[in-house]
Amino acid sequence: MEFKLEAHRIVSISLGKIYNSRGQRGGIKLHKNLLVSLVLRSARQVYLSDPCPGLYLAGSPAPPQPGEPAAGGGGPAGCQALGASPLKKPRRHLEEQPAGAAAEEEEEMETGNVANLISIFGSSFSGLLRKSPGGGREEAEGEESGPEAAEPGQICCDKAVLRDMNPWSTAIVAF
Amino acid sequence: MVPFHFIQTWYQIIQEQVKKKGDWFQNTSLEITLTLMATLQSDIISTVEFNHSGELLATGDKGGRVVIFQQEQENKIQSHSRGEYNVYSTFQSHEPEFDYLKSLEIEEKINKIRWLPQKNAAQFLLSTNDKTIKLWKISERDKRPEGYNLKEEDGRYRDPTTVTTLRVPVFRPMDLMVEASPRRIFANAHTYHINSISINSDYETYLSADDLRINLWHLEITDRSFNIVDIKPANMEELTEVITAAEFHPNSCNTFVYSSSKGTIRLCDMRASALCDRHSKLFEEPEDPSNRSFFSEIISSISDVKFSHSGRYMMTRDYLSVKIWDLNMENRPVETYQVHEYLRSKLCSLYENDCIFDKFECCWNGSDSVVMTGSYNNFFRMFDRNTKRDITLEASRENNKPRTVLKPRKVCASGKRKKDEISVDSLDFNKKILHTAWHPKENIIAVATTNNLYIFQDKVN
Repeated sequence: MEFKLEAHRIVSISLGKIYNSRGQRGGIKLHKNLLVSLVLRSARQVYLSDPCPGLYLAGSPAPPQPGEPAAGGGGPAGCQALGASPLKKPRRHLEEQPAGAAAEEEEEMETGNVANLISIFGSSFSGLLRKSPGGGREEAEGEESGPEAAEPGQICCDKAVLRDMNPWSTAIVAF
Repeated sequence: MVPFHFIQTWYQIIQEQVKKKGDWFQNTSLEITLTLMATLQSDIISTVEFNHSGELLATGDKGGRVVIFQQEQENKIQSHSRGEYNVYSTFQSHEPEFDYLKSLEIEEKINKIRWLPQKNAAQFLLSTNDKTIKLWKISERDKRPEGYNLKEEDGRYRDPTTVTTLRVPVFRPMDLMVEASPRRIFANAHTYHINSISINSDYETYLSADDLRINLWHLEITDRSFNIVDIKPANMEELTEVITAAEFHPNSCNTFVYSSSKGTIRLCDMRASALCDRHSKLFEEPEDPSNRSFFSEIISSISDVKFSHSGRYMMTRDYLSVKIWDLNMENRPVETYQVHEYLRSKLCSLYENDCIFDKFECCWNGSDSVVMTGSYNNFFRMFDRNTKRDITLEASRENNKPRTVLKPRKVCASGKRKKDEISVDSLDFNKKILHTAWHPKENIIAVATTNNLYIFQDKVN
């Protein structure tokens, strides 16, 4: 249980860092945000692979998703161990997603703290990294397959439970 | 913008001694002379670099300024004491810019300075911010022409009708003036933030590296550069690593290395192909699974890579350690030195306060026998490769009484704290030494804390 809390705390901190990086002078630092996204990914996997019931606002337990990489061994030792390697290519996750999740969607975590951050970010995840809503992207390079906008304020939904890390990687595209 | 000015400047030579059992630098007992130079209060020092002779020391700061110090020529009478460093030249290298297309401000902070070897009376250096590299010429002027016919001494033009005699202007001595002028501006070649520049041993070309690409330039040509490394994935979502540092080999003009955020170093040979995406060698140490944590990736990211002067070894700095690699062995480093292992249990807090992203640099001494790097609490560490001894010293103004013994410092990781030890929890993480430099020939080191530059030199007996 405490592993989940720790992982959740790290996810919140990481989201905050990504959010704050928007306003930094000199533009978004690609290196730092990549590292933060890797931590985010690790924390997320720990959070989801912990067998304890999660902290769900809506109260419904997360259904286990097929294709989700299995956590290595039993419960990971919090900060000190991880399940599956966080460096897997996100593309593979996408293919293993259950049907009905064709487009990438916003990563959602069912905890109040994170929900607040998400509602701050606005409806679209890529809004995270735009300097102003609908404004130009910082260093936009190539195509960004932007995540589909979820309803503002939507914080808990069954189908979004085990979304893969693609949306976080998508953040990098906005660089 | 805070205008640049020296709050305090003092030129004080303070003899310090570091008492160490046994010998340190090649059988001479180590005595450290602390010379405190200008205190730059207004801006954060972002880079420090000695030139090839060691006579000049350049610093760059967050405000885009470069300050160059010059070593006094050795006094023949007092040959036991080396010359101190005085301010030689100050100039504004980069200004803040605005990229209108991307609505981005470009910081004027100087990321790196690299000196060119001296070819004539003038000195040349490259300085770079996130986007633009500039070649600066620093030249001395100690004479000026006097006695013009058509101009007054103050420059006003004379009425030609008042000229009744002619004279030949002559050069007369004047107070030394050091001028810096930008000779080349290498711009618009980097989409991402430049982290490294490195001058080739051919002294004609140099490389510049950003997060995803490395470009090769010719010092004379500013309107084009060659891209020699490109690790940008076709789909940015698949990005897993970035380039963190790059350097040319000191002797082989076709060889360079670049380090990544994943803790790997790639050595590339420019003769192999135009685009060096395939490395000639890949240096990587397998990860210790017992040390795995959320932050393993961050702390394995390499923040600096430096070739030894000999060219046989290279040194990398990651968050907790310094590693020495033999270029002939790719699967693991030949030496590993722990800089501040006591921080391994604090990684979560260091992640929260962003300290885990600090990029420490490292440097070799002239003979490649000692390496140095910085840490927190204004501590810096030296590792002697031969004796395997290490020492922790502190750059602070408290220890600047004459003849004070500069005590080696020790951090107490856990348990009972001995007298004079500092516990990990009382370390000041705002006081960090990221940039250090070692004189190429002598035991003189430059250590930059956040706002101050310390120059230490050992005394020759």
